[in-house]
Amino acid sequence: MEAKARVVDALDIETFLICKNEEEGRRISAGLMKSMGCSDFDLVFIHHEGIGARVRIRAYVNRPGDRYTWLEGGDGDD
Amino acid sequence: MTEKRVLLSPLDPVHDIGLKMIKNALDEAGHTTFLLPPDVTPGEIVEEALDRKAEVILLSRTLGYGVAELLGRFVDLVEGAGIRHKVRLGIGGMAIKPEIAAELGFDQGFGPKTPVEEAVAFVEGRNYVPPKGGKKKEKRNLVGDRTYAYHHQGIRTLLEKISEKTLEWFDGVESPGIRRAELREAGLAGEKDYLTISDASIKDYFSQGILPSGLRLISPEERKGLQDMISAGRVENPRILQRNPRHPLVFIQYGTGCPFMDIAHIKGTEAWGADGVVHFDPSWGAKTEGLLAGLLSHEENGSVLTEENLELIKKALEPSTLWQVRAHRGLNTPETVLLAGEAGADLTKINPVYGSLGGGTDPERLLADAIKAMQYAARYAMPFDMPTNEELCGVPAYKAFAGMLIVTHLGLEMGAKPVLQPLFCYSPEMMLGGQMEDNYIDYNAAKVMALRRIIDAPIWAGAPIGFLTHTEERVQSAVSTSFHAGMAASLDIEGISIASADEAYSGGPITLPARIDTLQGTGEAFRFLGSSRMQPTSRAEEWAEELMTNIHGVLKEVAENGSFLDSLYQGILGSQKEGAYPGRNGRRTVQEIK
Repeated sequence: MEAKARVVDALDIETFLICKNEEEGRRISAGLMKSMGCSDFDLVFIHHEGIGARVRIRAYVNRPGDRYTWLEGGDGDD
Repeated sequence: MTEKRVLLSPLDPVHDIGLKMIKNALDEAGHTTFLLPPDVTPGEIVEEALDRKAEVILLSRTLGYGVAELLGRFVDLVEGAGIRHKVRLGIGGMAIKPEIAAELGFDQGFGPKTPVEEAVAFVEGRNYVPPKGGKKKEKRNLVGDRTYAYHHQGIRTLLEKISEKTLEWFDGVESPGIRRAELREAGLAGEKDYLTISDASIKDYFSQGILPSGLRLISPEERKGLQDMISAGRVENPRILQRNPRHPLVFIQYGTGCPFMDIAHIKGTEAWGADGVVHFDPSWGAKTEGLLAGLLSHEENGSVLTEENLELIKKALEPSTLWQVRAHRGLNTPETVLLAGEAGADLTKINPVYGSLGGGTDPERLLADAIKAMQYAARYAMPFDMPTNEELCGVPAYKAFAGMLIVTHLGLEMGAKPVLQPLFCYSPEMMLGGQMEDNYIDYNAAKVMALRRIIDAPIWAGAPIGFLTHTEERVQSAVSTSFHAGMAASLDIEGISIASADEAYSGGPITLPARIDTLQGTGEAFRFLGSSRMQPTSRAEEWAEELMTNIHGVLKEVAENGSFLDSLYQGILGSQKEGAYPGRNGRRTVQEIK
């Protein structure tokens, strides 16, 4: 089972992005998540202050009601 | 055991507390120890080891910078001195990763949180076996030794009067909700008579197998996968958050929509210290006459109430976990309590005042159903709490409390054990009135003080604590919960429901790690306080007195009106101006018994 399949529900990425304003922070966040291969993502929190924005970006791997990847069985963490 | 000569030395300028603790344990075990002061060079340590004929050298390192170079140099010096074959080397501390220590030539590396006993075992050349067990978590009774004795006789007299009239009315009425519960009791749920008084969506499912939108049946393969996960992941030693017997039980609320995801969240939170879990059903369930059946998953918030879903969840719970199935606000209230009792729930939730003024159900319908539900709660020995969430609509706390106390007395008359649930929240009343401009403690403390002076009943603050103080920012949210939990611990209340650290985020489902964030915060609050308390200011006392006076006034008005039910429609327990609107679901479905 691939490592991402073990994520129970979502991946939160918390970081500080260097950006001019919140709008740019949103665009960078979206680009970051797409570059990581995440399509189902959202910005939980963003606050711009000074040189950039504190962000909490979330990518859902398993939403309630899905067929959960972690129930599919298999060992390993490749 | 052979006595060893042990040299202990911190490789930091100041931090040596870990080594001091190990030294004490080694001295007690009969070894000879030499603890060097901080800030000694590696060369000096090797010289001391030669002089003192050390057989074991234990080093500690807290600071992370340059650690690999420093430790590598130390091992080289030991080898250069020609004593490596005679001396065993151990290194521990915050900056140490055991695998790196081994790579650098140490016999053992000890990471953060290593028990002292493990270091002693290393010195004595034996394998460390962690102790089994520890304090076993037991299921606690939320009601405890509360007696339900009234301390305010004026309020007691009014409640007796109001209850008497309400129960007289209840004896002469019935509803589809009551009837369906009776049919379920007789084993006829889903049969013809049951479906006659159910909504079309329920009839379609039972007669044609058509599920409402967003629902699906869970496959046998999925169920097998879940059972494997649960068997492999039993929580051997659930964490105990409380540091003092008077610290409250901690509940989390689940209702992701899917019982499987719920179970994943339950198992995760049990391990991290949740004492209880609360089942949240979908909001549409409250507006639907009748319940579905089968193992069902739902794509939106709220987990569907079916016998099979509840049975599955019950089987996954640890023996120490309290389980509440809420039933307070919809058209299936008596049947839900019956279902919960049959499934082995420990607690339920019933409050016709909130359910009809803030939850959308018609007051007449919900009052009749709620009283029947209380009878079931008594039969299954399930205490029920009464959320006063109408406060979130804008109803002042004293009005919400007056309603809660009427329900409390009705519950006692039915032989049940009601649990008071004041909100620890930054409610619209507070925002407009400014009572929380300075702090969040005083008014919440006043609520508990007032209730305690009226009746000796259990209090479970909710739901969740800190409602409307949380933001989408994780740390702020967890810290707010943590402080509210500390306040609850200071007020000697029996239980709290906590939010997750993403409760304020409305864009998607709550996540398990965000639940763990606030359990961690709550545990830290209990650790921080221990047997001490947060201290409210004198304003709390003034507000407690004001609340009691106002509660008494509202109850007097209800008693003078002569009808609790009419008082709900008339706005005595929360008016439209304040934000309370009598619900319309189930209106005109209550009938007089002929």
